[in-house]
Amino acid sequence: MGHYKKYKYLGQKWKNINSYKLIVITILFSSLIFAFLSNLAFGSVNIPIQQVVTILLGGEAQKTTWTTIILKFRLPKALTATLAGAALGVSGLQMQTLFKNPLAGPFVLGISSGASLGVALVVLTANTTGMSTLFINLGIIGDLGLVIAACLGAALVLGMVLLISHHVPDSMTLLILGLLFGYATNAIVSILLHFSENNQIKSYLQWTFGSFGGVTWQQMVILAPVILLGLIMALLLSKPLNVMLLGESQAQTLGLAVQQTRFWIITSASILAGAITAFCGPIGFLGVVVPHLCRNLFKTVDHKILIPVVAVMGAILALAADLVSQLPGSETVLPLNSVTGLIGTPLVMWVILHRRSRFF
Amino acid sequence: MKFLSFFFQVACIGLLIIACNNTPNSPTISSTPNQECVNNYNPNQDYFPEKATINYANGFTIEYKNNYKIVTVKNPWKDAKTSFKYVLVNCGTRTPKGFKETEIITVPINTVASLSTTHLPHLAKLELVDKLVGVSNLKIVNTPEVVEKIKADKIAELGNNNVKVERLLELNPDLVTTYGTGNPQTDSYPKLLEAGLKVAINAEYMENTPLGRSEWLKFTALFFNQEDIAEKVFSKISKNYQEIAAKTKAIKKRPKVFTGFNFKGTWYVPGCQSYPAKYLADAGAELLCVGNSSGSIPSSFEYVFERAATADYWLNVSQSWQSLKDLIREDSRYSDFQAVKKGNVYNNNARLNENGGNDYWEGGISNPDVILADLIKIFHPELLPNHQLFFYQKLE
Repeated sequence: MGHYKKYKYLGQKWKNINSYKLIVITILFSSLIFAFLSNLAFGSVNIPIQQVVTILLGGEAQKTTWTTIILKFRLPKALTATLAGAALGVSGLQMQTLFKNPLAGPFVLGISSGASLGVALVVLTANTTGMSTLFINLGIIGDLGLVIAACLGAALVLGMVLLISHHVPDSMTLLILGLLFGYATNAIVSILLHFSENNQIKSYLQWTFGSFGGVTWQQMVILAPVILLGLIMALLLSKPLNVMLLGESQAQTLGLAVQQTRFWIITSASILAGAITAFCGPIGFLGVVVPHLCRNLFKTVDHKILIPVVAVMGAILALAADLVSQLPGSETVLPLNSVTGLIGTPLVMWVILHRRSRFF
Repeated sequence: MKFLSFFFQVACIGLLIIACNNTPNSPTISSTPNQECVNNYNPNQDYFPEKATINYANGFTIEYKNNYKIVTVKNPWKDAKTSFKYVLVNCGTRTPKGFKETEIITVPINTVASLSTTHLPHLAKLELVDKLVGVSNLKIVNTPEVVEKIKADKIAELGNNNVKVERLLELNPDLVTTYGTGNPQTDSYPKLLEAGLKVAINAEYMENTPLGRSEWLKFTALFFNQEDIAEKVFSKISKNYQEIAAKTKAIKKRPKVFTGFNFKGTWYVPGCQSYPAKYLADAGAELLCVGNSSGSIPSSFEYVFERAATADYWLNVSQSWQSLKDLIREDSRYSDFQAVKKGNVYNNNARLNENGGNDYWEGGISNPDVILADLIKIFHPELLPNHQLFFYQKLE
C-alpha cells in the first residue's frame, strides 16, 4: 500500500510543476531537432551549411555528390539513429519496469545474444559449411545477409522466451532464464570464433561495434514501420506498466491480467530491440541509461510521460553518439559502441549516485 | 569391494580400447638420415657457397658465417618492439656459442609444417612440397602440388588460431613456419616454442611492396639450404615484374581507382605507402589512398563516395561478390559510383577454391608479376594484348 501512496503522491507533485514540465519538454524537442540537423550537417565530408539547407529544400547543390551524401547517406543514417535511440530507450524502460531492476536493458532476455549467434553463424562459418554456401548462392551474405541472420537469431530467442513466459509464474525466473540463454548463445559464438580465420573474426567484431550507417532507404521501408509499431504498442501498454510498478501480486489484486500484460510487454520490447540489433548491431548502454536519465530529469515514474520522453531522449543521445563517432572533418571513424560506452558510463555513474526513484 | 573391482576392470578395458583405437594415422615422415650432413667438419670451410642476397624485402637480414647463417626478422608485426633471430647451423658442424637454444636450427631441415597458406607456394617453387607434413587448414589451400598431397591424405591439419600442439608434437617437424601479429593470445608461436618445437616467424605481410613480399621465398629457402634455386626463381619473377612495370612508366593518363567496400558503416581505405598503392602505381593507375601509412584506416562510406564517385575503376571488392547484381543488392548506393555505372568493377576472386580459399592471397603473394600483368591488362589493355586475366575477373 505504501508504494501505491508514493506513486499517487508523485503524480500529484507533477501537476504542481506543470510549467517546469513544459519547459523541459520544449528543450527536449528542440534538442532533438538540433541533434537531427547537426547529424545531417556534419560528417567526414565537409559540406557548407547553406548547401545542406539548399539540398534539404530540394535545391540544386554545387556538387552532385553532396546531394547524394545528404539524401542517401546522412538522412537515412540520422533517421536510423533517431529510431534506434527511441526504440532502445523505450525497450529498456519496459524491461526495467517489468523486472523491477535498474540494470535491466533491452538485451536482458538474450535478444542481442540471439542476434549475434545468427550473425556469427553466417560470418564465421562462411565458405566452410553448406548453410553459408547457400547464403552465398543467394547472394545475400554481407550487410543484408547479416540483417536477415540477426533477425532470425533474435526471433528464435524471442520465441523461446515468449513460450516460456507462459509457463513461468514470476518475472524474476524469466530474467534468469534470459541471462542463461545469453550465456548459452555466447558459448556457441565462442566456439565459432575459436575455429575461425582472422578476417572472419574481424568481420564479426565489426558487426559488434554497431553502426547506424548500414540502413539504406530500401531497408528503411522495413525498419521504420516495425519500430513505429513497437513504439505504439509500448504507448498502449503504458497504463498496465504503471500498475506493474506496484509489483506483480499487487497488480493482480488490482485486476490486471499479469501473465498477458507481461507477454505483450516482452513482445513490444523485443520487437524494438530485435529490429534495431538486426539492422545496426548490438548498440550498448542507451537502453539502460536513457530511462534512468528521464526518471531523474522528470522526477516521475508515470509511463504515459516516460515513454514519449524516453523515446525523444534516446533519439537525442543516439544522434549525438553517431555524430561523435563520425569524427566530423576527419577521414576516419570510431566504432559507435565505443562512443555510446564512453558517453554512457559517466551517465550510469551519475544516475547510480543520484538515484531518486525508490521504485527499484 | 565387488563394485570397486568391477569398476577397475571396466576402466582397464576402456583404456585398452582407447589405446588400440589410437593408432596414429599421421602422414608418414621420411626419417632417412639427412644426406647433406657434414661428416668431417672443417671450421675453415665455407659450407654455404650459394648465398642469398636480399634486394626488395626490408623485414629480414642474413649474415653468413662459415658453418652457420644468422637470420634476423626485424619487423615481425606492426609496431613490434622485438625481433627474432634464427641461427641456422649446418648439420654435422659445431654449434656456435652465445645463442639461445630456441634460436638454433639445424639445416637443412627435412620436414616442415606451415601455418600460413602464403608459405606453400614457396615450397612449390623450391620443389620441396615432399617435405611438407602439416598446414593450418586443409580446405583453403590452392597450391596445386599441395592440394595433390592433401588428396593423398599425406598432410595433417593443425588449426589456425588454436594450433593443435599435441598433433604437431606427434608429427615433430624439424621446423614450423608461422606468423605473428603481436597478440600473445592469438599468436601460435609462444605455445609452440614452449612445446620445444623450432619455429620460424615469416613476416612477409609486413612488406609494403609486392616484390618485397614475394622475396620471402628466400627466407623459406634458407632453412633448406636451397638459396641457389630461390635466387634463380626470384630473379625471374622480379625481372618479369620490372619489365612489365616499365611499360607503364611513360603513361600520362592514369585512371583513378578505389578499393574496398562498406561494411557496417566502415570502409577501410589503404594508406598511400601500402602494398596496393605500390601495385597500382606500377600498373599505371592512381589509387584513392589516405595518409602515409602502409596499413589502412577505417573510414566512412560518405568519405569514400565524395572522393571516388567519379573514379574510373573499383577494385578488390568483397570476396563474395561475383557480379554487379551482387553488390547492388548489398547496398543500392553502390550504383551511384561512376565505376559501377560503367561496369568497371574488377574483383580479385577469380581463383577461389570450392571452400572459398582465395589463391590471390596464396599464389598471388608469390607471383606479383602475374597480378601486375592483370592490373595492367585492366587499365591499359593495349600494353599487354596477349595476357589473360588470372587472379582478377570483371564483375558483369
